[in-house]
Amino acid sequence: MKILIVEDEPALRSSLVEYLRQDGYVCEAAENYRAAHEKIKLYTYDCILLDLTLPDGNGLDLVRTLKADSSRAGVLILSARDSLDDKVLGLELGADDYLAKPFHLAELNARLKAIIRRRQFQGQRQLQFRDLCVFPDQGLVSVRDEPLPLTRMEYDLLLFFLANPNRVLTKESIAEHLWGDDADTADSFDFIYTHLKNLRKKMQEKGVDNYIRTMYGMGYKLSTE
Amino acid sequence: MKLLTTTNRYYLLLATLVFAVGSVVLYFGISLALRIEVDEQLQNQQREIMRGSRLKAGLLDVVALSTEPQPAGLRDTMLLDPTENVLVPYRQLSFRVEGDGMPQWVTLRKSLLETEDMVGLVLTVMLTVLGLLLLSLGWLNRWLSRRIWRPFEHTLAALRRYDLQHQSELALPVHTPIDEFTELNQALLHMSQRLVADYQSLKDFTENAAHETRTPLAIMQAKLEQLLQAEELRPATAALVGDLYSATVRLARLHHALTLLSKIENRQFPQAVPLQLEQVVENRLRMLQDFIDDKELVVTKQVQGGPARQMHPALADSLVGNLLQNAIKHNHRGGTLHWTLTAEYLSVSNTGPAVAGEPTRFFERFRKLNPSSESPGLGLSIVQQICRYYGYSVRYTFSAPDSTHTLRVEFGH
Repeated sequence: MKILIVEDEPALRSSLVEYLRQDGYVCEAAENYRAAHEKIKLYTYDCILLDLTLPDGNGLDLVRTLKADSSRAGVLILSARDSLDDKVLGLELGADDYLAKPFHLAELNARLKAIIRRRQFQGQRQLQFRDLCVFPDQGLVSVRDEPLPLTRMEYDLLLFFLANPNRVLTKESIAEHLWGDDADTADSFDFIYTHLKNLRKKMQEKGVDNYIRTMYGMGYKLSTE
Repeated sequence: MKLLTTTNRYYLLLATLVFAVGSVVLYFGISLALRIEVDEQLQNQQREIMRGSRLKAGLLDVVALSTEPQPAGLRDTMLLDPTENVLVPYRQLSFRVEGDGMPQWVTLRKSLLETEDMVGLVLTVMLTVLGLLLLSLGWLNRWLSRRIWRPFEHTLAALRRYDLQHQSELALPVHTPIDEFTELNQALLHMSQRLVADYQSLKDFTENAAHETRTPLAIMQAKLEQLLQAEELRPATAALVGDLYSATVRLARLHHALTLLSKIENRQFPQAVPLQLEQVVENRLRMLQDFIDDKELVVTKQVQGGPARQMHPALADSLVGNLLQNAIKHNHRGGTLHWTLTAEYLSVSNTGPAVAGEPTRFFERFRKLNPSSESPGLGLSIVQQICRYYGYSVRYTFSAPDSTHTLRVEFGH
């Protein structure tokens, strides 16, 4: 999996590169429009993380270039502007998803995986994690070929963990992943706990170990061990 | 009333007044002059008769001789015109003549009919002139309004069309034939240039501030997230990093709310589409289902349709979302949430403990009903700003017997 990260802010660029490399991606980075344009023209990527406001150009023009070259690369826009118009324009031009800054790395990772899944395998893919098998297209989960019935929230939660195995997921990022803007409506952290409790119970009933660990003071982690 | 009509009224009123006074003065002036003239003629005749000369024929209309004493002097009288059979005004002068033995009284008369005709003529002329003057004034003003006021009408139309959203200056001619309008246009142009510059700089500032703070926030969040992944983190340190991370997320949320508020204030949401609010509320309630279930809230609704509202989708969603979040957040377990939508208003009621304080202050920024809450207390400010943006009004009421809080958005038109 080859990914191009177009981001002019060095600190953020290095974080993105490091975070995604740990997931086994091959990451390349471009710090401005010119460099990004050159790389797009020379190489092919599976997905491009694209900052819209670049010092020497607009990221949207890169989306246009990609479309003009009928590139197969997925595009995930990262923007410091969260105006609806930018979002609509970006998606209309053919970007796959849009994430406003600041974002959670875990959320970015989950969305990136969803894009790659849709692009490369036309959705025909199953996610295997130890005894768990997930069919994202059908929204089904099975444990050793036995179906594991989950509520929508539990399923979304599990998929979020599967996108970020072995990483600490903060309660905040989980809340925003599940409820978006409504995350701060009530005590959403209690809900996470409730959904997690149910998920763990259902997995245990199917004889699966407790994969999801509580990391004190930080959040939760899907453990591979 | 139009400026032209107003000035016209004054012009016409003054002209009529002047003409009325003029007519009266002229009438009496001419009557008096004619009367004096007739009197003089009569007295001249008298003098001639007294001197003994013969009466000149043709000069006077009637001469009457009488042996009966007549009151001497000048008088008005009416005599019957035998041919036309009407009474005609006459001026007469009677005096005594010492003739051959018997004293005689001579009465000289002269018709005043010509004077009457004269006065009639004068009045006719005056009224005709008045009428002509009024007509020509009206016509002149209409012509002036079309010609001289044209730049003004043009300016007015340009002002009416003017929309700051388009960020263009007023399209007005700098020079017009009328100095006042030229000055007006120049002042307006100057003002619009300043407005556009102010608006642009405010917009730039908001956008830049939003952009420039988002990036460090994104860095902070990303680095903290990376730090949390570090294996060697001791539990105490992990808790610290966790707290920092929460604070960063809160800051990001606050930033988002404040940017939204300033964007609404800067009117940066020009595009509106017809929206069925019922759909917006239903969608949002579905997204909030978890929170509703958790508090075991009973949601009821009363919808009487109403036309689609012209709103920006993001603002409509934000308005509805904040109202519903508020109703859920400040509700108690097993409480109710009731929403009503009619053509006139959208209201959301919820049960909950009474809150102290002035209801209008709930809409202030950073006003928290629950001080320990993590939310920055901007929800109702956003609701109010969105209402203001669309010319709606929002009211809060509390009904003590069933302890129900109601927020009602009245569309007003």
